[in-house]
Amino acid sequence: MKEKLNGKDLINIGIFSAIYFVIVFITAMLGMVPILYPMLTVICPLVGGVVYMLFLTRVKKFGMIWIMSILMGILMLISGMSWYALAIGVFSGLIADLIFKSGNYGSSVKGVVSHAVFSLWIFGNFLLFYLNHDSYMKTREEMVGKEYVDKLNSLLPMWSWVILLAATLIFGLIGGMIGKAMLKKHLSKAGIA
Amino acid sequence: MAQLLSADLTNRGLVLDPRSKLALMLSIVFFTMGGVGSDIKAVILISKLLGLVPIILLLTAKQWKRALAYGGAYAVLTLVSLELLPVLNGGIKIILTICCIGVLRFMPGLIMGAYILSSTTVSEFIAAFHRMHIPQQITIPLSVMFRFFPTVMEEMQAINSAMKMRDIRLFGKNAGKLIEYRLIPMLVCSVNIGQELSAAALTRGLSNKKKRTNICRIGFHLQDIAAFVTALLPAAVMICNRFGVIA
Amino acid sequence: MSSTVISFQNVSFRYTNCESRSLSDVTLDIKKGECVLLCGASGCGKTTVTRLINGLIPHYCEGELSGSVNVCGMDIKTTPIETVSEQVGSIFQNPRSQFFCVDTESEIVFGCENMSLPEEEIRRRLERTVERFALQALQSRSIFELSGGEKQKIACAGVHCMYPDIIVMDEPTSNLDLDAIDGLRNIIAEWKADGKTIVIAEHRLEWLKGLCDRAILLKSGGISLEITGDELFARSKPEMNAIGLRSCADLPDHLDLPCGFFAKDGRGAVGKALHLDNFRYSYRSKTALDIKSLDIPVGSVTAVVGHNGAGKSTFVKCLCGLQKRFKGTVTTDGKKYRPRQMLKICCMVMQDVNHQLFAETVLEEVMLGMETENEEQALDLLKKLDLFELRDRHPMSLSGGQKQRTAIASAILAGKRILIFDEPTSGLDYNSMVQTAKLIGSLDKDITVLIVTHDMELIERCCTHILHIENGRIDEVLL
Repeated sequence: MKEKLNGKDLINIGIFSAIYFVIVFITAMLGMVPILYPMLTVICPLVGGVVYMLFLTRVKKFGMIWIMSILMGILMLISGMSWYALAIGVFSGLIADLIFKSGNYGSSVKGVVSHAVFSLWIFGNFLLFYLNHDSYMKTREEMVGKEYVDKLNSLLPMWSWVILLAATLIFGLIGGMIGKAMLKKHLSKAGIA
Repeated sequence: MAQLLSADLTNRGLVLDPRSKLALMLSIVFFTMGGVGSDIKAVILISKLLGLVPIILLLTAKQWKRALAYGGAYAVLTLVSLELLPVLNGGIKIILTICCIGVLRFMPGLIMGAYILSSTTVSEFIAAFHRMHIPQQITIPLSVMFRFFPTVMEEMQAINSAMKMRDIRLFGKNAGKLIEYRLIPMLVCSVNIGQELSAAALTRGLSNKKKRTNICRIGFHLQDIAAFVTALLPAAVMICNRFGVIA
Repeated sequence: MSSTVISFQNVSFRYTNCESRSLSDVTLDIKKGECVLLCGASGCGKTTVTRLINGLIPHYCEGELSGSVNVCGMDIKTTPIETVSEQVGSIFQNPRSQFFCVDTESEIVFGCENMSLPEEEIRRRLERTVERFALQALQSRSIFELSGGEKQKIACAGVHCMYPDIIVMDEPTSNLDLDAIDGLRNIIAEWKADGKTIVIAEHRLEWLKGLCDRAILLKSGGISLEITGDELFARSKPEMNAIGLRSCADLPDHLDLPCGFFAKDGRGAVGKALHLDNFRYSYRSKTALDIKSLDIPVGSVTAVVGHNGAGKSTFVKCLCGLQKRFKGTVTTDGKKYRPRQMLKICCMVMQDVNHQLFAETVLEEVMLGMETENEEQALDLLKKLDLFELRDRHPMSLSGGQKQRTAIASAILAGKRILIFDEPTSGLDYNSMVQTAKLIGSLDKDITVLIVTHDMELIERCCTHILHIENGRIDEVLL
């Protein structure tokens, strides 16, 4: 903690962010059908877990997880997905970092939990649907009629954000555990974990 | 993905400062996509117009194909939602409505994103972050990340070829294996390349102790003023409205 | 003039996770302006020496270091690596992994930016460097579209811009073709003229003839021979091979061979053949490959040679069936294979074998692609390839050569009749190269092998035919 991040740490953050993002992004492309959007809170944390857990083997100082989370947010912002991922990521990344730090950067249980919290940036992308939802939908009513807007709302009701949040956290935990298992099964034998 | 932030410097039309692009992007995600201030008629109108700005920007950057593709898709979806949806009924209407509303809502941001990523270089972006006093702890990993995207994609392609040659078909078998077989070699290869990359960067003096110079030239021009005015317009109208200046 | 700039005093080093020491008790002095070659088998410690000079040891690679290393008056143990880097420039072997930026200009000035030099100074240096190394054509380009040789030039320019006194190179030519090596040679000659001290660790030695002043042969972590460059290059090929060094001294340059397809011994073997038809491919309306027809004898070992960008990799990609929009065919045994079906009979052993290892154990790996799983047959082949003992190991935990053999085993078991090797010996020392050549020579006679390579020694040892492609074409077929 007292030690500042050095060049090697910063490069590691960049490398793992790139791998993590490419994998999550390619998975997300599979769910590009808008109806499957919500499923991304399940799939993305599942596949991202391996990369994240491998990243944690490089994390020995405070700040690395936090910065990675911010980078995800910046990517989302400049690619025009949403700014909520950045807003959420700044906080969830900090908390994820503190969780892993509390295990002295070595506890795999805390690592798994920290992955669940880290995954919240994925959930952040969905906030767009909930915040300012009513006023946005009102402008759509003219297009499709009130009846259908109501039907839409019943498909994705306002309280459904709780489900998405829970899904992100739960599958974040599962993804973290899968990642841990993969490290043991393959990566430590390959000499990179 | 491999093309991210690698604009062709010799032929890219009108150049905006990356900071102007960011300002426009923020305005679009807040007002056009986020629907902030959509209780005010004037703001709605302006943010709808703002949604068209990215297409114009793509044109100024000589990204003809992209402008046409995005502009076309945008127009088609708008037409569908205005003309086709009202006459449809039943399940198909729900599905189409979700698609149209969902995609239309995201489109301005996505087009703006496409504009930023295709008209800027990594160096310019990092230079902009420098000027905005964003710390090196963020800019260094950010540039490594953009440097590394194409590498990760190359690795993916090589592994895909290898899987084709091995004729590994896993349909029927465990679907998890399919991901595992791709992911693990990808991770091993990328991490190995990453290790070499950091060794090389360290021998070129990269460290977090000194402040790096940045020789990339960016700066504000006339067009940037226009961009900032456009970006600030919806917020200004909203504030004026709050103070009762505009109804 | 002849003051010592690099001095090793009784240096020993052991990498963490490694049982034996990589260097033991090495004492070495290098004078200002000297050009020193470090050679020896893989794992002899030459890379370790370069890392001790540029500070990667102990600041990046962890391990136990004893003795003292002094570079330009700096104690390497206590001097931070960013300070060392201002005096010592480094060039590495893999052009894909030594770039930090995505465009050439940023890459050249990257080191200077790290030194926090003022902007005007950096621009001045950039201008001078570009002029000196004639890089005008490479300015403002994306790193990803450059050839290996061009990338290596940019790496040299980046190092030069920092105006270091010492330059260390770790196998700088292992991914370069002969033209690119010439370019690199010229750059080093310029540096020598500037009075810079240069330390090069290399397997390929020919290109350093006349450049290197002193050669140091390392053997299992110690210095076993120290001679002048002229003495080294006066040695004959067998003498070089006897001390484990490679030598192409008596071999012709493969790029001087005529463009076409011919048997190496001049005698055309007529028999069963793979009949290649209509091997044509264009990329963005530029012809990358244009071979109307070609017969490759079944069971032959063909070296595919040519300049970078001549169409070698397009050719093998087409042959494997990996190239999209490719329409050619291969006929053998009266059966005609279209590109998609070629995937079934061809397999490429890639340069980075890690791309093609998927399973958890070697045995599982080799059985992955088998038509019907037959463990007995698999075990038999593993025995033949010296992999039997390793059958339960994780493929990724094997050494480079073992990985290569695993990939070969899985291709054979999957019923592949055509094996393609992409630069199987790049960066290999003499003994490993001999082993690879033996292995390729020992494959079944019904397997046809093609090797993309510019390793003349390998061609000499195991190839029966040579396919020399230039500009996507072959001029003559002598069979």
